[in-house]
Amino acid sequence: MSPLLIALPKGRIGDELVPRLRGTALALDEAALKSRILHIPTATPGVEALLLKGADLPRYVAAGVAALGVVGSDTLDELDVDLLELADLAFGACRLALCAPRGTTLEALTSKTHLRLATKYTRATEAWLQREGFVAELVPLQSSVELAPLLGLADAIVDLVQTGSTLQAHDLVEVATLGHASARLVASRAAFLADPARVRPLARVLEEALGEQA
Amino acid sequence: MPTHTPHFPDLLFTPATRLRAWETALMDLLRAEGYRELHPSLILREPLEDGSVATPYVQFFDGPERVALRSDFTLSLARLLASRFTEPPPRICYAGAVFRRPTQPWEAVERFEVGCERLHLDRADDADLELARLLMAVPGVLGLKGGLLQLGHAALLRKPLEAEGVSPALKAAVVSAMSRRAPHRLKEALKGHRAEAALSLHAELLLADLDGAASLAPLTRSPYAGLLEEELAELHRAAKALTPLLPEGLTLRIDPADVEGLDFYTGPTLRLWTEGAQAELASGGRYDRLYPDLGRPWRAAGFCVRLSRLLDLADTRPDLFTELP
Repeated sequence: MSPLLIALPKGRIGDELVPRLRGTALALDEAALKSRILHIPTATPGVEALLLKGADLPRYVAAGVAALGVVGSDTLDELDVDLLELADLAFGACRLALCAPRGTTLEALTSKTHLRLATKYTRATEAWLQREGFVAELVPLQSSVELAPLLGLADAIVDLVQTGSTLQAHDLVEVATLGHASARLVASRAAFLADPARVRPLARVLEEALGEQA
Repeated sequence: MPTHTPHFPDLLFTPATRLRAWETALMDLLRAEGYRELHPSLILREPLEDGSVATPYVQFFDGPERVALRSDFTLSLARLLASRFTEPPPRICYAGAVFRRPTQPWEAVERFEVGCERLHLDRADDADLELARLLMAVPGVLGLKGGLLQLGHAALLRKPLEAEGVSPALKAAVVSAMSRRAPHRLKEALKGHRAEAALSLHAELLLADLDGAASLAPLTRSPYAGLLEEELAELHRAAKALTPLLPEGLTLRIDPADVEGLDFYTGPTLRLWTEGAQAELASGGRYDRLYPDLGRPWRAAGFCVRLSRLLDLADTRPDLFTELP
């Protein structure tokens, strides 16, 4: 039988997740974690973890390569992928916020004739603009979005805010909250439906280890 | 985004042979059960005249006239039958390609399908069972070692939503959350609605289990159990009738949370999965509103086998098949 793969994210959510899995059936092999390999054995034989970049992870799960995964809802909301979202794990919580240089108000921004917003989250931003009846040009960026208003690329940014320290360091403030994000337990539709005996117990392990009550 | 292969796949030798062999075997199976073949034109002209052609269509110009390629057999056949027949032919089948804009980047635009439909004037429960039995024979005909036949019922969610007068936008949000089996998204969508508690409990019960006929047991606690009495009895009857007929390697599972195609399906739904497949290999169900919308008081049910997905599966997972053409 081929190994069952669980896709786990690198970065912010991954950093919180690895310690929570210690001592569970899905604890990750510590030696493998310290190496550069991205295919990590777990405490359960026949179950392996893949360490992936958050933005790529849903594709692996939707395509059925990985049966289960953990990914931020902010990433899911930006992609049009067919997968199951079994639980809100509640950790890694942050908010998607409109942020602008200190002293700027929402009213000042929205009354601009040509408002430019830099963001990685174009879909969520478009939905918010539509909901609120605002018009803006979106400047899609992948990283270091905070630089955009400082260097004149955009008037403001839409980005994830957890503690606010990055904003503070760039003299930016939150002027509106667009939504909230947290880690989600996702599953491949095909694996969940066609192989429930193997997949569902592992989904329960992840939910218990990583969920709100953990 | 690629717009060439694999969106318009060229089949070289082995997959071409497989496609021909599978089409032939499936059409033989259907013909042996009394299904007669129809082959609607590949070109659609009618919907373009009223400007109703939406994005799934692949369109082009035939001289000054804008036309589209057939995107779906069911709709093409329905238009053909409703305009050419006064009585419904009871059993029809079809084979060929459809062209549809993909919702996922890796999906093909050109897809090969074989399918069948049962048409009738009055209620006919045996039609749904006949289709389920036929679909149960499909893995064997294709040489698939095993599979999962998933039985659902569109009314299990649609009727409570209609009974509560849920708005189209909220219905879309609920269906999307149910499709993702995401209880947290469901809670978020229903927050503040006057039927929030009842609908949340019902949805939770629909999502409760995936373990065969036992899946229906929790639904007796639903606030809508009375409303759904007939549908639940129908699913029980189907599970009872089909279980003894299951071929080796095929599992039957009732999935009350199956909400795919909720706007189209009106009754029992069928899906065929196999471990290792990225998507369902066949799907169908009852769609009693289609023909009345075209001016014919006919009821209809059918299913479609997605041969393009089977070709991909045979290529990547030959171990799932006993023999391959």
